[in-house]
Amino acid sequence: MTDVPAVTPGLPPAKRFVLLASRLWAWVFLGALVLFFVVAVPAVSGATFLSVRNFQNILVAIVPVLLLGLGQTFVIISAGIDLSVGWVMSLCSVVSAHAIRASFNAGAPLPLAVTLGLVATIATGATVGFVNGTIISRLKVPAFIVTLGSSFIVRGTGLLLSENTTVIGLPSGMRDYGNESMFYWVRGEGGGFYFLQRPDVSGDLLRSMDRILAWPVVMTAVVVLLCMFLLHKTQFGRHTYAIGGSLQAALRTGIPVERHITKVYMLSSITAGIAGFLSTLRFNAGSAVIGDPLLLSSIAAVIIGGVSLFGGAGSVIGTVIGSLIIAVLTTGLVMLNVQAFWQFIVVGIVVIVAVLIDQSRDLIVGRVGRSER
Amino acid sequence: MGKVSLKALALAVVTVAFGAGSASAVDIKVGFLPGVVDPFYQVMETGVNAAAEDLGIEVVTQIPPTWGVEAQTPILDAMIARGDLDYIIIAPVEKDQMVAPLQAAVDAGIKIITVDTFLGDGDYVDGPITFPIAYIGSDNVEGGRIAARGLAEAIGGEGKVYINSTNPNVSSVEGREQGFAEVMAEEYPDITVLGPDYNLDDQARAAQQTSAMLETNPDLAGVFGTNVFSAGGAGNAVVNAGLGGEVQVVAYDATQEAIELMGDGVVSLVLAQKPFDMGYMAVQFAAADARGVTSLPRRVETGFAIIDTENVDDPEYSRFIYQVQ
Amino acid sequence: MSDPILSIRNLVKRFGGLVAVDHVDLDVHPGEVVALLGDNGAGKSTLIKCVSGVHLADEGEILFEGKPRRFPRPIDARREGIETIYQDLALANNLDVPANIFLGRELKHRYLGGLVKTLDEKSMRREAAAGLEALDIQFPTLTQPIESLSGGQRQAVAIARAIYWNARLMIMDEPTNNLGVPEQHKVLELIGKLRGQGVPVILITHTLPDVFAIADRIVVMHRGRKVTEKRTTETDAAELVQYMVGALDDTRAA
Repeated sequence: MTDVPAVTPGLPPAKRFVLLASRLWAWVFLGALVLFFVVAVPAVSGATFLSVRNFQNILVAIVPVLLLGLGQTFVIISAGIDLSVGWVMSLCSVVSAHAIRASFNAGAPLPLAVTLGLVATIATGATVGFVNGTIISRLKVPAFIVTLGSSFIVRGTGLLLSENTTVIGLPSGMRDYGNESMFYWVRGEGGGFYFLQRPDVSGDLLRSMDRILAWPVVMTAVVVLLCMFLLHKTQFGRHTYAIGGSLQAALRTGIPVERHITKVYMLSSITAGIAGFLSTLRFNAGSAVIGDPLLLSSIAAVIIGGVSLFGGAGSVIGTVIGSLIIAVLTTGLVMLNVQAFWQFIVVGIVVIVAVLIDQSRDLIVGRVGRSER
Repeated sequence: MGKVSLKALALAVVTVAFGAGSASAVDIKVGFLPGVVDPFYQVMETGVNAAAEDLGIEVVTQIPPTWGVEAQTPILDAMIARGDLDYIIIAPVEKDQMVAPLQAAVDAGIKIITVDTFLGDGDYVDGPITFPIAYIGSDNVEGGRIAARGLAEAIGGEGKVYINSTNPNVSSVEGREQGFAEVMAEEYPDITVLGPDYNLDDQARAAQQTSAMLETNPDLAGVFGTNVFSAGGAGNAVVNAGLGGEVQVVAYDATQEAIELMGDGVVSLVLAQKPFDMGYMAVQFAAADARGVTSLPRRVETGFAIIDTENVDDPEYSRFIYQVQ
Repeated sequence: MSDPILSIRNLVKRFGGLVAVDHVDLDVHPGEVVALLGDNGAGKSTLIKCVSGVHLADEGEILFEGKPRRFPRPIDARREGIETIYQDLALANNLDVPANIFLGRELKHRYLGGLVKTLDEKSMRREAAAGLEALDIQFPTLTQPIESLSGGQRQAVAIARAIYWNARLMIMDEPTNNLGVPEQHKVLELIGKLRGQGVPVILITHTLPDVFAIADRIVVMHRGRKVTEKRTTETDAAELVQYMVGALDDTRAA
């Protein structure tokens, strides 16, 4: 055959191992972290780290960071950055609270009012994302600048729309949407497993009751699955990778790059908005500051999860792992009676390690390409 | 001092010359710079404005959108740069870092009154910082003590209690933690104090920390949230652990949100400060100082009210709920 | 000889006062490799950009398959089967071979009456393998990101993509640049294979050995004008260089 001969029949085993390790290290690190706490927590405080309840606590805790990170995953894969997510979350918390309160007071039944709150959230997020994305893609302003600017605008708008930073007076039954669960498990005499229905128990039985899959966790899981589908199974995801991997290739092959980038930023603002909506449900109040501290954590989660800051690489499940690492650290350190500030130091180190691993992977692949010439 | 006295003198002359105006009116301009946009400071602002109207004084108010030295300092610098202010009423957001920026104000001939929070150790007579005229606020240490006694009563004088706080090194919340821990140590030997954990003003983090605390200490009896955020987050974790009403949660600050949380059973006690009084009194102090009064106390404590589900509808207590229009 | 698939008539392209392409005529016939030679700035890139829809010509006309055409955008030229492979190949290095071949034109499964569409990875992989097969290109695995492929292999992917999408005229800009010698040979072989399948190729280059290895006809440009057109067998390197530097000029002689 007069072919371009077969090259890369395979990398040398050592390099292959490094490549594999670079993809899986976050899982390994999470596993090691959990293992560490499983051993250390009982030794220090006598409590169990890997209890059903604690696992559920951690799942609840990852919700905001993960939701901010999901949209950000798409944005960073497309070689952009969205600095506005934390404030979009705050704004949407306020907007959804207003929408729920207004529609409830106007006589809408609670489920409808909550649904309208979600609709208002998505509309708000979509609007912010559309403006961000349009300026970035059509006017060619760097994403860093656009989203930095819009984060101030969004923040100011959120504070203005709120009433002294918080929106209260929401229907009290709404708390259930943000705090009740899909399953309940009551152990011991008179206990059992309950689905959708919170058992009417009190005292020690109530204390022993585990709530499994709180509604915000369920909703976040749905968003995670949608994002996985979108990124890994559809043309939308394929084009996101292509734009981040090679903008020129995307342009030349006729991908509608401008429209696509706009959609990516809309997705980012919408997932951030859902985080705000869920926090409104959870705390029964809209807060214009609730998402302010979360931007950096969410970017850290995305990077730890293996999304390359240079674009073109990453996965949704990686971001889930990254968020889990951050939440496990917070919970574990509190249970060890260690000042929670240590969390930042550990997260910082992990982020830098993640970037180093990402770069060394590129280096290894690059070397292969050169050596075969 | 000299400058203001001269002004007061000048005013007196003017007043005499035209034979008009109240004898007690003083021609001063006061800047008001609270810590952050929140209901507490907004109630304080209504107190400031009420006093300003009563005394015929012009007030310039600037409220930082976020809590922090980096947010408050530029606004303070701008107030100094205006050049027309005689007094600044400020809630310093950090007891050490705000010293230098406020010293600059003093150097520019502006007098300082601190409200709610103080500089140094709050002792402007014998402490390290003496340049402010006065500190008017709650005795946060005392507030912590009152919260401790309220919580101790509610849990029957024994068990474990946990402090969830916002940030370290803020005089107000630090005092609350200190007073709280002090009372528990001295008066309630059967109570163990855990924490504080710092949630960095992140309500979700407060909830996560409290959940983790409940995990290691399933017998936890009470939580002290040093502000509404902390209490709201902590209370959320308590309710979700199925412990609402069993684990008592005390919230510092009687915002409407806190009262609502109490109505929902998330919070059991609410400690009300008196921000209106702080604001009103601070302006009165400025006016008095301008008139040459030299016997002003350097420290004024405005007191507290404890609101619980029993007395929340009693006007005697409910008037301390922070109402903002 | 058959009718030309591409006919350029009297084409002029100006940038301000500069005449980048100056009344150029060029015919390309099916199954023919035409080398476009010239120094930097001779106008060869501008000429082909007028054909591939990057630029619009100011004067003259382009006949493709006998009909006059205007290509306001690159996509318009591509729809007619004019595929251009630039030096950067327009490949996404983070995606695998099938993903690149189908980039922007992915095959999809349709569900719920087309409401939900997912990538049909299996068909794309099968089609990509078939497309590569037709060009006798073999890769051990198609599912690795192409960043792990060599330069020549990537070139092959780009060519396979163009062929798969039914290229009727292939324009290649310096395809052997930045390649090692063995890989250069393979790319030239591929070009020969295209010719064997009847696909004409316009090859922009200034590498003379390539020209003599593969081209049927040679067009030399100098300062925007076509200074000569010769069959490869009728000329040699020394003469071509004379044309390239402007020492010889058939239009002046005429």
